[in-house]
Amino acid sequence: MIWDWSAMEFVLAASAPFGIALLLSAVGSRLPRRWHTLLTAGASAGLFGWLLGYLPIVTQQGAVETSYEWVSALGLRLTLYLDGLALLFGLLITGVGGVVALYTSSYFESEAEANRFTALLFAFMGAMLWLVLSGNLITLFIAWELTSITSYLLIGFKGDKEAAARTGAMQALVITGGGGLALLVGLALLGTAAGTFEMSGILGNTALRDHPHYTALAILIFVGCFTKSAQFPFQFWLPGAMAAPSPASAYLHSATMVKAGIYLLARLYPALGSTELWTSALLGIGLTTMLVGAVIALGKRDLKGLLAYSTVSQLGALVALLGLPDSAGLKAAFVGILAHGLYKAALFLTAGAVDHATGTRIIDRLGGLAKTLPGWTAVAVVSALSMAGIPPLFGFVGKEVLLDAVIGSYEVASLPLVIVGVSAALTVTAALILIFDVFLGAPRDSHAHGHPPGAAMLIGPALLTVGTLALGLLLEPLIVPIITPAVPKAFVLHLFHGITPPLIVSIIAVVAGAAVFALRRSWLAIRPPALPSGAGVYERAVAGASWIGDRLLSTQNGKLRVYLTVILGAVALLMLPAILAYNGQRSVDFTLRNTGDVLKLILLFVSVGATVAAIRAQRRFVAALFLGVMGYSMGVVFLLEPAPDVALVQFLVETLSTILIIVMISRISLTLRDRATRIESRQKPLSRLRDIAIAGIMGLMVGLFALGAVINRPVRESNVSDWYIANAKSQIGITDVVGSVVTDFRGMDTLFEITVFGFAALSVLTLLTLPQSRELLTGKGRARRHTDGPYAHVPEEDTYGIASFSTPLTRMAATVVLPFAVIIALVHLLYGGDAPGDGFTAGVVSGLAVALWYVVFGYYEAKRRLHRLRPGALIGVGIGLALINAALPLAFGRPFLAHTGLDIDLPAGLHVSSTLLFEMGIFLAVFGGSSVVIEAIAHPKEVETL
Amino acid sequence: MNAIFAIVTGILFGLGVYLLLRRDLVKTAMGYYVLFTAINLFFLAVGVFNGEVAPYVGEQGQPSDPLVQALLLTAIVISFGTYALLLGMINVASRRFGTIDSDDVDHLRR
Repeated sequence: MIWDWSAMEFVLAASAPFGIALLLSAVGSRLPRRWHTLLTAGASAGLFGWLLGYLPIVTQQGAVETSYEWVSALGLRLTLYLDGLALLFGLLITGVGGVVALYTSSYFESEAEANRFTALLFAFMGAMLWLVLSGNLITLFIAWELTSITSYLLIGFKGDKEAAARTGAMQALVITGGGGLALLVGLALLGTAAGTFEMSGILGNTALRDHPHYTALAILIFVGCFTKSAQFPFQFWLPGAMAAPSPASAYLHSATMVKAGIYLLARLYPALGSTELWTSALLGIGLTTMLVGAVIALGKRDLKGLLAYSTVSQLGALVALLGLPDSAGLKAAFVGILAHGLYKAALFLTAGAVDHATGTRIIDRLGGLAKTLPGWTAVAVVSALSMAGIPPLFGFVGKEVLLDAVIGSYEVASLPLVIVGVSAALTVTAALILIFDVFLGAPRDSHAHGHPPGAAMLIGPALLTVGTLALGLLLEPLIVPIITPAVPKAFVLHLFHGITPPLIVSIIAVVAGAAVFALRRSWLAIRPPALPSGAGVYERAVAGASWIGDRLLSTQNGKLRVYLTVILGAVALLMLPAILAYNGQRSVDFTLRNTGDVLKLILLFVSVGATVAAIRAQRRFVAALFLGVMGYSMGVVFLLEPAPDVALVQFLVETLSTILIIVMISRISLTLRDRATRIESRQKPLSRLRDIAIAGIMGLMVGLFALGAVINRPVRESNVSDWYIANAKSQIGITDVVGSVVTDFRGMDTLFEITVFGFAALSVLTLLTLPQSRELLTGKGRARRHTDGPYAHVPEEDTYGIASFSTPLTRMAATVVLPFAVIIALVHLLYGGDAPGDGFTAGVVSGLAVALWYVVFGYYEAKRRLHRLRPGALIGVGIGLALINAALPLAFGRPFLAHTGLDIDLPAGLHVSSTLLFEMGIFLAVFGGSSVVIEAIAHPKEVETL
Repeated sequence: MNAIFAIVTGILFGLGVYLLLRRDLVKTAMGYYVLFTAINLFFLAVGVFNGEVAPYVGEQGQPSDPLVQALLLTAIVISFGTYALLLGMINVASRRFGTIDSDDVDHLRR
């Protein structure tokens, strides 16, 4: 990967807000608040300026793209793509972001809250910048989801105190997150259809509209965009999001995040837009949203609720504009985005200040704020007038171009125009309610007045208001250059076009809106009929999900047996098709070929009988011994197979297992064991019968399954086994075919196996001796234990049951056995290549000798005598040796675990081949593992708590 | 003979499941051990040769299947490790919950 440092600025700039968020969450609480303001507002202004610096380049070249290899195996690239559209949104994000940051620094009283909020706000800014600058669908989607998550955190900012904040946040996350899932599939389809996830490759692809996936991908992307931009019927999450602190509402839920859907629609317009589906979906949904939002807004008596629905209405207008064919609405959409961002953010910030000053946001309790909050009133009045579309404010331009675009595409007397006109009139009414019922007029509730907000808070909204005032008059020098690179067609933008149809509609709308406002006393009393919305569906879905969850939970009774039954039943069902398919029309061959087979049959009877005896035994020790009988019989079966290597390991492991379970049983207190025995014997016949039935069915299934496997298997045909037999000596250099398979042909299996075994053994040790396991593994701390510390009082022959075998004779035997066992182990190891026995055998033999020591000497004495034995380290060395053996071929440029071909004949029939190292590894790992287990179970420490 | 192995696999498996369904956790662990053994027998059953001699190069006669034996070797040792871990967990659970009745061990933390 070659990083082009001159182009790195894109990545760095887009990620700068993340850096600020991290910085604030790390050290923000230690910085004075003034520094916060400087840092946050300064960074926003810096980013704004940086983006503005690209304006001439983008105007000239169209787009600036930087791209890096990211995950080259998946063909993923990290691409940043700055064109007119991205630039426009980038300026909006950083501009409004800076203003909100200025406001926020004095909005919160608590230092910690301010810090956390600002950090979140900048995390969002970073996500939003990445969203609009992404030149790749994948990064775009990641950023999209990040905005949803930061929005969730900001809505739920006061979630520890307010239930509304929690529900609002969850609702917003579920709706936008659910839409995000649809979008993910849509973008994946889009990337597949286009053959690339790079934006530059998609935008120029005109064939996408005719692609067979077009309908599916367009609808999925619509769902994503409509949920994000609060379109009908998903609009209800946006008013719920008003539980967020006002700066977040101003920034995320009015100026930027809710416009992400608009952004994506505009972004994909060149590739996907202007089709019949596109136009009808966007116009239909957009106009519905516009009207529904405008109507509901009038009935809202919460200041932020009114603003939220008016935002919904405006978002609907923007979606409808993007629906117009042939890019007819793009100019109006972009002007609208800017105008709306300015006046609505200012209004939200004002609402926050009003809340701050009076302690309420209910319009009925407000009024006459002009006297107490003159500066804020000025901001609010100008912004509200801009919202109403009064000249010469910027909002007027926005409304004119909107009407112009609709009239340009449709007849004057068309339904779209009527809807837009009615919505515009109702928006005028909403604006007048804000102006006259909140700020002008007489104070209605004198008790509501609290502390006026500081003057510093006013700086940000005032800046926005200056923009609203001036930009309508400065279209040519400021707005046109910003919009030009984002609009494909040449256009003109004037404050006044003369007496044109849009102006006439606009005048009618203002007059009608004022009339509706004048009559508000009569219609405010009417409870508006519940307008259709997705809220009911959402609530039912949430209730349904939790109902299903309850039902599911009630099936969980915590009884291990029930879970096992379900799992086993499922396994039985899975086996059924195989059983049915493979057991029909086949003959089963039960011939016993020789005395060996007869013996095997007898031994199998013994093992089944021993198992039944183990089941019927009342005492667990007896049951354990019967299990041992079963294991040994199985070992003899292996021996008769003939499979001497396996038989050897089976005998040794069986011995170890029997010791293990007897010790384990003795470690469980007698009271508990007696209680369990009583419970067991009291089992009702019916439930016992049920268990027998389950066990019977399982046995039948597995038996038939195994039978199917056996009778369908081609006898005497195994390419693999034949090949192993033919090549063991020539390729691996050992005559023991099993050994060659274990250590070479299937070396990877063995490598995994000893690793798993080692870890299982270490886990046993950790479980049983948690506080001391470190000392035990490292072999340190014993000396201290015997002289001082909590174990000093423990007698040499501890009271632990297994030490009772300690007589002079057994002590001597144990002392002698260990060296012999190690010698036997080494012989097995060295001659294992050509004779029965191998690393496993050697390991378990040595482990058994160690076990004998623990049995004879008791824990502490054995530990003291064997202090040089570090079983934990042995496991590590063993696995290490096996790994070295596996990695050696790499040095010769051959693959991992390839055969190295070392083969040396030594005197005394000794034979060294490359597998010896592997065998040594197996030996050490198994020896270490079994010693660890033995040490753990011999450890007398009662583990009281974990 | 292999068909008999298959049938005994089924019988042992059924017995193992019965042990598995006991409320006594020690019996449950024993059930696992029986299941391990049953599976090992299944490995033996699917060996492709009716072997007469151990699979060593140079032996005269039909060797037994070396592949299943290699699998068995690892399976036996792994079974032991798993069994030890299981018993260790039961041991700890018996102290932590004060019972070895699996119906009483129904909370992760009391």
